[in-house]
Amino acid sequence: MARYITRRVLQALVVTLGISVLVFMLVHLVPGDPIRVALGTRFDQATYDALRERAGFNQPLIVQYFTWLGNAVQGDLGVSFRSGDPVTSTILGVLPATLTLAFASLVVALVIAIPLGILSAVRSGSKLDYAATVFSQFGISIPDFWMGIMLILLFSLTLGWLPSSGYTPLTEDPGDWLRHLVMPAVTVGVVSGSILTRFVRSSMLEALSQDYTRTARSKGLHERVVVTRHVLKNAMIPVVTVTGLQLATLLGGVIIVEQVFSWPGLGRLALIAVQRRDYPVLQGAVLVMALTFLVINLVVDLLYAWLDPRIKY
Amino acid sequence: MAADQEQPERAGAGAAAQVDDRPALPASRSRAAEVWSAVLANRLAVAGLVILVAIALAALLGERIAPYGPTEIDFQARLEGPSARHPFGTDQLGRDILSRVMLGSRISLQVGFISVGIALVGGVVLGLIAGFYGGKRDDVIMRVMDILFAFPAILLAIAVLAILGPGIGNAMIAIGIVYVPIFARVTRASVLSVREEVYVRAARSLGASDVRLLRLHVLPNVLAPIIVQTSISLAFAILSEAALSFLGLGAPRPTPAWGLMLAEGRGFIQQAWWMAFFPGMAILLTVLAFNVLGDALRDALDPRQKSAIESRGVTA
Repeated sequence: MARYITRRVLQALVVTLGISVLVFMLVHLVPGDPIRVALGTRFDQATYDALRERAGFNQPLIVQYFTWLGNAVQGDLGVSFRSGDPVTSTILGVLPATLTLAFASLVVALVIAIPLGILSAVRSGSKLDYAATVFSQFGISIPDFWMGIMLILLFSLTLGWLPSSGYTPLTEDPGDWLRHLVMPAVTVGVVSGSILTRFVRSSMLEALSQDYTRTARSKGLHERVVVTRHVLKNAMIPVVTVTGLQLATLLGGVIIVEQVFSWPGLGRLALIAVQRRDYPVLQGAVLVMALTFLVINLVVDLLYAWLDPRIKY
Repeated sequence: MAADQEQPERAGAGAAAQVDDRPALPASRSRAAEVWSAVLANRLAVAGLVILVAIALAALLGERIAPYGPTEIDFQARLEGPSARHPFGTDQLGRDILSRVMLGSRISLQVGFISVGIALVGGVVLGLIAGFYGGKRDDVIMRVMDILFAFPAILLAIAVLAILGPGIGNAMIAIGIVYVPIFARVTRASVLSVREEVYVRAARSLGASDVRLLRLHVLPNVLAPIIVQTSISLAFAILSEAALSFLGLGAPRPTPAWGLMLAEGRGFIQQAWWMAFFPGMAILLTVLAFNVLGDALRDALDPRQKSAIESRGVTA
């Protein structure tokens, strides 16, 4: 186990380095002079020279990389080409909105997936199972941005129940916070929940076909006890893994849904940075997303090994 | 990630072991017929096939069966609701939405097939090498795949498009790159499970070269999960293209791309809901069709494989 942990952590470190190289190279792979492009019509030589110097573009690439990496490790991701604000504080500023949407969506997803997945596995082959399959197929296939627009059309523009866009911090006004959160969270949650439903179902089906389930049944245990105590416990191990991966995806920013609902999160920040060619912001946002994904993945893998001691590495 | 888990399971997977050095093809005619009839027995899959045939016809015949030209402007008929003349209504320039949706299928299918083709070729080659040779090559390839995999799919595509510039051709390349790691992983996992099979070892002991081994013995026996992944990836590639077009990074105006139509329709959502509704339905039905087909194929080809579709790309 210790060897496995060491190996996984080392692997993750290698991948982290690779991510940092790729993120760093992003600016240099884009054709044209990023600072000139970012300044656009506001170009003046003094600002340009200052930004170039500040970005360290006058040094060799390898020196630039290590300077950038050294700063990034210390939490300094540079300054925005556009606003001149530090990237780190910009990213910290959008984190509450991103975390709110990610966790709210995950709650929606689990509320859909756990009961639906369990029921459709326990009553495998029934009408309910079929309906759950159809639902999850639709949920996986639906373009989330289209669903968001349709929800806005129905609940904001037609019924007038919910605001069509924006975000209010919880600390400011909890009611308003919730009203703004419902539609984006449902949009993301339905898609995520459809994926999870399938995992819960297949995981339950597998546990239901195991020997220990047959043994539990043959002991004369009530079916409910068999399901809750024997099947569910075992079936939830892989579900934990997939839920973790879903969370990693959601934290990486649900870029297009954020865009549709003008949700000021990490994804929208990255998208705006692309549109404005504000590369330090883009680099910072992408780095945070990729590392979040990597770390959660690592934690999930280790958790999996810990939850299921049968797994040998 | 946790690659070793995949190794011990599925011993004896693949087609019947053949000891001689003849191709071990699982997709013989009878097997193909078997798979086909299993797919046809699945009601959802049949519905998916019907949708796909309709979409393919619209893409192939396009202008010849569409009631209007996709870029035909008619200012007399701006923002008209669905009617007998315009079953899906018209947009802000009086263009017929039905005709545009029909022609849009061509772009979606094109992008889907070409980008998945890129991902398929790249991913399968890398996965074969990684799984078959193991060791350093495996480590290097799979770590690079891990790096690519760590980026949110749509963001990676956006970043590639920032480098290459927007456009439909570049969108295909971007989506292709995004899906390479999935194919590499699926292929590698399957290769690991057949690498030590008797028929592979037998062929090797008969002096078969690596290329021959990979082509005739390994590849045919890892095809099932790759075929399934292809169908599912087609669904996600089409969804990704729509998302990129929606963001204005795909096809330029006035191309009838579904994502682009949806973005335009969003601006008129209060006056003309049909502008956003029908292109979205078209995306939904196409993606759904490929997804159910992928599921049916999995059930038919490889019943033991869990419905563990890769989640990425869906919640981008």
